[in-house]
Amino acid sequence: MKRYVVVMFALLLSLSFVPGVFAGGAPKGDFKKGTIISVNKEAGTIVFIPDGSEERMTLRLGAAAGSGKIDTHKKVILSLEGKRGAEVIANIKRMFLDLGLRDIAFILFVGFVGGLVSGFIGSGGAFVLTPGMMSLGVPAAVAVASNMCHKFPKAMVGAYKRFRYGQVDLKLGLIMGISATAGVQLGIRVQEFIFNRWGDAGSNLYVSLAFVFILVTVGGYVFYDAWKISKRGGEAAPPKLALRLQNINLPPMIRFKTAGLRISIWFTVPVGFCTGLMAATIAVGGFVGVPGMMYVIGASSLVASASELVVAFIMGFGGSIKWALSGMIDIRLTLLILAASLFGVQLGALGTTYVREHMIKVVMGSIMLIVAVSRGLAVPKYMTDLGILPLREGTTAFLMKASFTVMAVSLILGAVIILSTMIKGMRESRKKEPAMVTSHGHSRS
Amino acid sequence: MAERRKKRPYAGTGVFGIISLSSYTALFSNQEIVTGMTTEGGAYAVIPLLAAFYFSFIHGAFASNVLSLLGIEAKKKK
Repeated sequence: MKRYVVVMFALLLSLSFVPGVFAGGAPKGDFKKGTIISVNKEAGTIVFIPDGSEERMTLRLGAAAGSGKIDTHKKVILSLEGKRGAEVIANIKRMFLDLGLRDIAFILFVGFVGGLVSGFIGSGGAFVLTPGMMSLGVPAAVAVASNMCHKFPKAMVGAYKRFRYGQVDLKLGLIMGISATAGVQLGIRVQEFIFNRWGDAGSNLYVSLAFVFILVTVGGYVFYDAWKISKRGGEAAPPKLALRLQNINLPPMIRFKTAGLRISIWFTVPVGFCTGLMAATIAVGGFVGVPGMMYVIGASSLVASASELVVAFIMGFGGSIKWALSGMIDIRLTLLILAASLFGVQLGALGTTYVREHMIKVVMGSIMLIVAVSRGLAVPKYMTDLGILPLREGTTAFLMKASFTVMAVSLILGAVIILSTMIKGMRESRKKEPAMVTSHGHSRS
Repeated sequence: MAERRKKRPYAGTGVFGIISLSSYTALFSNQEIVTGMTTEGGAYAVIPLLAAFYFSFIHGAFASNVLSLLGIEAKKKK
């Protein structure tokens, strides 16, 4: 079986270097990175030097881009209007935000909460961090890139911790991660096809509808399962589908030691592939990967959520290479998020040792369902942009604000559940400990 | 056993804390140079990736030590 792991690992390395391997809501359309040399407001043009080139370009300003103050001699990101290939500037954003205390506090807070949730359920945080940073004024590409670059070290630290607790099935994580990398490729192609055909609004609508559909069905099932388990007093029954698949002898069969199961690779790879596909579409592959590992492969929620951190590391690393090569990572943002999320992820990881296993499903199901509501609130805006729904600008703006607030609430609620059950578990464990120690002839002062 | 459990990682927290804090101070007091270098693209791509690894080791170790210092540790297996 070692042979398969080696082959998979080699494949992973080769895939990581394919340009375009990334996951997590890549910015759509054309954008250029460089410096504006001069602005001619009357003519509605700017002179721009793209990074890595000496050539000066004259570009036309779109209505929105030309209305505000334009900084010169600072690194900026220009988004070009409409579909690929257009040379009219839709908006100009400074690449490096001047970080104020409020911005730093916000990034640290979301970083900590996101870390806590991902240490516990295997993923999370990215869906609030990226739009959160964008709301501070960070260009979309930089927000996605900086977030991606914080994902792999955070997942690495979380995976290491949970590996030490005996929860990570490395082989499962590796196979899932590599198949996910391939899934991301297809996801990107689908996204590009939709973007080129229906533009930005069409693409946003597709992402939101995929989000709502997947989160409601998968999240609903996870939550229902958690509720059933808690009614049975915390006893989880092995999922029927997984048991049936494990009984099908379709070589090559793989034994996953930590997960304690044996299943055909033909059922394992598609789960990873779908995880990647979703990561490229809805930016949170874990919402498919963890339930897939639990209900299709048959791993426990503890092993599935821990092994998802290996998947997140692989995908995050592949994505970060791509973003680093295109020079989009604002390392200050990445390291600021890490400053807090490395605390969060370790706290979340150790929290799993104190709670009953179905709590992972409770947290995951709750977050998924609330995020579904949040994305549902964003749908009317995209339908309006496409001309399907006649809504006023004020209404859509309100709905988008509500969407972001609900998304943030989902993460905070997840963190509250994790912390409260963890504290309860710790208290119970401490209560039992002195009695145990005394019975062995020691005492704690 | 009981004595061993009580031992708190003061030295580890101090050392990693100082390295982490000075690394962050160095980063934020040279923002222009750092952001310029890390967004060059091409071969410079290794810089943000190495920085992410470096901080995850140093700051990760610091965070781990702080949690232990506060007495927050994983449940021991019976």
